[in-house]
Amino acid sequence: MAEIKLRNIRKNYGTVEVLHGVDLDIESGEFVVFVGPSGCGKSTLLRTIAGLEEISSGEFHLDGKLMNYVKPANRGISMVFQSYALYPHMSVFDNMAFGLKIAGVSKDQIQKRIEKAAASLHLTPFLQRHPKALSGGQRQRVAIGRAIVRNPKVFLFDEPLSNLDAALRVATRIEIAKLKQSMPDTTMIYVTHDQVEAMTLADRIVVLKDGKIEQVGTPIELYREPASLFVAQFIGSPAMNLIPARLTKAGNETEVCTKDGNTIRIPVSSGGELIDSSVMLGVRPEDVWLAEAGSGFLKGCISLIEQLGEVQLVYLEGTFFDQPLIAKLPGTTELEVGMEIELSVKPELLHVFDQNEARLKRADFTQHSEPAVYA
Amino acid sequence: MSTQNIIPEVAHKPKPNPWVIVGRGVLQSFLVLLGIVVLYPLLWMALSGFKSNTEIFNSPFALPQNWSFSSYVDAWNNGVSQFVVSSLIVTAMSIVATVLISAWTAFGLTRTKIPGKPLLVGFVLGGMMLSPTVALVPLVRMMQSFGIYDTHWALILLYTAFRIPFTTFLIRAYMLDLPYDLDEAARMDGATEGQIFRKIILPLCQPIIVSCVILHVLFAWNEYLFAMIFTSSADTQTLPVGLTSLMSKHGTDFGQVFAAMTISALPIVIIFFLTQRYFIRGLTDGMGK
Ligand SMILES: Nc1ncnc2c1ncn2[C@@H]1O[C@H](COP(=O)(O)OP(=O)(O)O)[C@@H](O)[C@H]1O
Ligand SMILES: [Mg+2]
Repeated sequence: MAEIKLRNIRKNYGTVEVLHGVDLDIESGEFVVFVGPSGCGKSTLLRTIAGLEEISSGEFHLDGKLMNYVKPANRGISMVFQSYALYPHMSVFDNMAFGLKIAGVSKDQIQKRIEKAAASLHLTPFLQRHPKALSGGQRQRVAIGRAIVRNPKVFLFDEPLSNLDAALRVATRIEIAKLKQSMPDTTMIYVTHDQVEAMTLADRIVVLKDGKIEQVGTPIELYREPASLFVAQFIGSPAMNLIPARLTKAGNETEVCTKDGNTIRIPVSSGGELIDSSVMLGVRPEDVWLAEAGSGFLKGCISLIEQLGEVQLVYLEGTFFDQPLIAKLPGTTELEVGMEIELSVKPELLHVFDQNEARLKRADFTQHSEPAVYA
Repeated sequence: MSTQNIIPEVAHKPKPNPWVIVGRGVLQSFLVLLGIVVLYPLLWMALSGFKSNTEIFNSPFALPQNWSFSSYVDAWNNGVSQFVVSSLIVTAMSIVATVLISAWTAFGLTRTKIPGKPLLVGFVLGGMMLSPTVALVPLVRMMQSFGIYDTHWALILLYTAFRIPFTTFLIRAYMLDLPYDLDEAARMDGATEGQIFRKIILPLCQPIIVSCVILHVLFAWNEYLFAMIFTSSADTQTLPVGLTSLMSKHGTDFGQVFAAMTISALPIVIIFFLTQRYFIRGLTDGMGK
């Protein structure tokens, strides 16, 4: 059991407030990822949960117990640091044993627990080595091992993969996913600024921006129904394309008009006060496809092609979008820089953001259903 | 990518430049000369300890005619043994006190949250500017009222007090470079401040602590002013003061004086040669890489 409740958590350094009231419930055994741009307060939030930073105001409950004033070691929480923070003068074994010795665990127990953890992390041959004599990936595993042996209720990771090279990063990401599967009752909180890590690992993602929660949801919810422009742009790669437009008809179906006079009706509801206001039309690169001349919604001239084999990223310059629009098209389509092309969209896959950067919601209650499959 | 890296690089040595060789030769002979300038006086002193007075005056630079240890034995029996013991006691005890107190202070100054820390740092390090000479008179009164005047304790206390600021300064610089994640990891592991200090930070400070110990030995072994003023009896005097009193007693027996001086210098020279590698490393490590 490890149920976390955060209630209006605030943190300030001197007069600067870094966390502006965070409310969050995490269920026992969940894998939650905090994601957001650098400096948005992810680490700070994680460290207040760990007990390394005092909570300035608000309450943190773990399994119904107030944790604000409980010492880090007594919270039942382990943390893997970004730098690993292994004790350089101790062997791998002693690194893992340090916390257990302090907690007064018997020698036999220590030996047993470390052997078990080392076996599952493939560290058995290295137990007598010092961290200096290990590779980056091995150090990473020692850091995880040191956290595991304490049998924590909650496991915290602060950007654990950022010191590894690309290949190792993918491998370790998979290791962490397996680790989670082997510890179904342990709650894990994982901090990253990388949305791919967030999407692949998380049961639920918490998107943070400037010290506030922007949105909480499963990866697919955040992808399909981002609450705001910020989340829409943060989740998904390449990022969602944005096209400035004007709202011309409100109601259960919204009509918008782009700069060059193209109109489209989108099944989202809008209030009458929005009529004639400027909005942003969002379309994901993978939600467009080539159209016959004269029938497409987006027209432009190809300025760059990034061929990835399976797909190609096509950069389109047009009269009614400010930045090049990126389209993810099948890799086999024959295209060349300089070609004029047209792209079709499906209205139900378009997103509309009002001037407050909030996303307009659908009128009906089918928004959780799968979007229509298109040919 | 990896296949390209496997292409063997043709090892081609540049032709030796004659000026480089000349330059290296000049530099090496300069260093050898410097070594002679430093070592010769020590050697001369040690050799003179084997000579008689007449030899010292008539042929100061010749080797001794017969290698007699009598001057060394005389010096040892005429009080040098006692001075060595006093010096050892004072040096050793003040080292332990200085290093432990300074390391603990540096730990507090670098790794804890205390209000007004810059002020505190300034206060502790400001002690480096305190002149011992100016403080002499009040210190004498103080030691007398403590009842430790003319005991080893007086010197141990003074050496410790006057060396703490500088030693703290060195250790603090080193500790500033140790990552704070280590403290936090230890805190997550349940360690108290004391345990973090003893089990994590202190062991990691070993190089700078070795340097501090050597610097302290150099200081305490040779210190003259305090030793002269705060000790007066033969069984409390340390080597530098003891040697002067020996000279005033046996000042005409130069062989014995040289022997005594050699005995007093020997431990320092040996320690320095054994630890020089460590010494330099500790001092430069703290400056960041
Ligand atoms: N000890 C500190 N003192 C003052 N400001 C801090 C401190 N730690 C972090 N901050 C500030 O808090 C904000 C959030 O930092 P952090 O949680 O580390 O962001 P990230 O999301 O990149 O992990 C940043 O603007 C940072 O400058
Ligand atoms: Mg961070």
